[in-house]
Amino acid sequence: MAAARPLVTVQSLEGDMATDATPTVALPDVMKASIRPDIVNFVHSNISKNSRQPYAVSKKAGHQTSAESWGTGRAVSRIPRVPGGGTHRAGQGAFGNMCRGGRMFAPTKIWRRWHRKINVNQKRYAIVSAIAASAIPSLVMARGHKIETVPEMPLVVSDSAEGVEKTSAALKVLKQIGAYTDSEKAKDSQAIRPGKGKARNRRYISRKGPLIVYSTEGAKLVKAFRNIPGVEVANVERLNLLKLAPGGHLGRFVIWTKSAFEKLDSIYGTFEKGSEKKNAYVLPRAKMVNADLARIINSDEVQSVVRPIKKEVKRAPMKKNPLKNLNTMLRLNPYAKTARRMSLLAEAQRVKAKKEKLDKKRKPVSKEEATAIKAAGKAWYQTMISDSDYTEFENFSKWLGVSQ
Amino acid sequence: MTTVPGSLIWEIVKKNNSFLVKQFGRGTAALQFSKESNNLYNLNSFKHSGLANAKTVTIQPGKDRSVVLATSKTKKQNKPASLLHKSVMKKEFRRMSKAVTNQVADNRYRPDLKKAALARLSAVNKSLRVAKSGAKKRNRQGVKIVGRK
Repeated sequence: MAAARPLVTVQSLEGDMATDATPTVALPDVMKASIRPDIVNFVHSNISKNSRQPYAVSKKAGHQTSAESWGTGRAVSRIPRVPGGGTHRAGQGAFGNMCRGGRMFAPTKIWRRWHRKINVNQKRYAIVSAIAASAIPSLVMARGHKIETVPEMPLVVSDSAEGVEKTSAALKVLKQIGAYTDSEKAKDSQAIRPGKGKARNRRYISRKGPLIVYSTEGAKLVKAFRNIPGVEVANVERLNLLKLAPGGHLGRFVIWTKSAFEKLDSIYGTFEKGSEKKNAYVLPRAKMVNADLARIINSDEVQSVVRPIKKEVKRAPMKKNPLKNLNTMLRLNPYAKTARRMSLLAEAQRVKAKKEKLDKKRKPVSKEEATAIKAAGKAWYQTMISDSDYTEFENFSKWLGVSQ
Repeated sequence: MTTVPGSLIWEIVKKNNSFLVKQFGRGTAALQFSKESNNLYNLNSFKHSGLANAKTVTIQPGKDRSVVLATSKTKKQNKPASLLHKSVMKKEFRRMSKAVTNQVADNRYRPDLKKAALARLSAVNKSLRVAKSGAKKRNRQGVKIVGRK
């Protein structure tokens, strides 16, 4: 026996014999088994196939005609056609799944594989997993149960609940243990199923409420509770995965009676001892002793050996173009400074020389010179005017030196 | 009591649970919300999840325009009825925000949720605000309505 087995308080009901100490029971080891939603889902989907009834279309459907193909050459497709005349049916295509009145494609057969074999150990693993999940408030809430008013999970009630005979008393019990809101939720959810299922004997749907697990065979509570919407009743010895994990989803809200809760250890065994009821069955052992990953990662043992966090951010240095950035160039080529200076000086020299040369050519004329030039121009103009003034041809003859 | 670590619960619960809202966004723009009352940002993430964390903060509107601030007790994890440490606040906003920072961050309860808690408080407070009575202030500058004829 493990030294510290956690205790679960037994919720007492009204009319119980008052005792000083609150009665407690030890938590069975099933509740500490590993929780495997994948296994539960797989087993559930396979188990749920085992209550199916075979169905198929009629073997003869679509084949009750003596249709034959007309063959090629009649400019119609080669599908078999109904023989004869005198009715519209004659000459229509038959048999094919594309034909009106033809058979369906791959007609369903009753010899489909309807049922599935599931390994017994897997089934037990799934049930154990589902029981363990039903003890965790978060998972029960995640399934959609209203357990905000429930005093404790797993919820164990005293054995007087097994003697409840009337449904009105059963409702009182549910109210006392805070499970009434969940059955109320199931009641509010009752509705007519959408779709064809209505016509196939599945007319009403509703959410699931609490599952009540009892131990004594033929207990009165079965009939007292079974008509409450959403509530289901099961015997501990015959727990069913379809009830423990409806839809393959873990975390059904389970209400245990005290004797049922105490039986769990003998039915499923403990981590030390095998099961008494199931042949050679031991509870699956968890892969991790401590599944709290955050706790492991943040433990001193791990943190002392991992390298410290790299806090400073390393940035790649910015690439600078030495042809554009002088400082970078100087770092690469110390002579560049002198070269640059000399080139600048040479350039300045060149500009200066050119300017001087041009200036020399563009030497400005002084005032005296300007007046002299103007005067010369004027004088030339005057002579030209006077010369052209040839009123007499005397000048010509004079000029020609011809004497008249 | 057997307490299953939050990281394990989160792995079980993150893809499918009754609070999950998957309807918004598509493909890479998908956004998943979560409807737990103790999820401050209503986001489906481990940090904000009310299912997977032992320490959670709830900020909800209460009766007669009060705000309920609740933190969960780590030692009552399997006692849903007595899980929450509730306090009803009917103060002005400054003092409520002071109380929230005190309960969430300053006492080292969930310092990472400080900003979320204050944002939630602000949103809840805004939702509880009652419109002022009396004549409405007129806007002297005409408001231009764009794109209407």
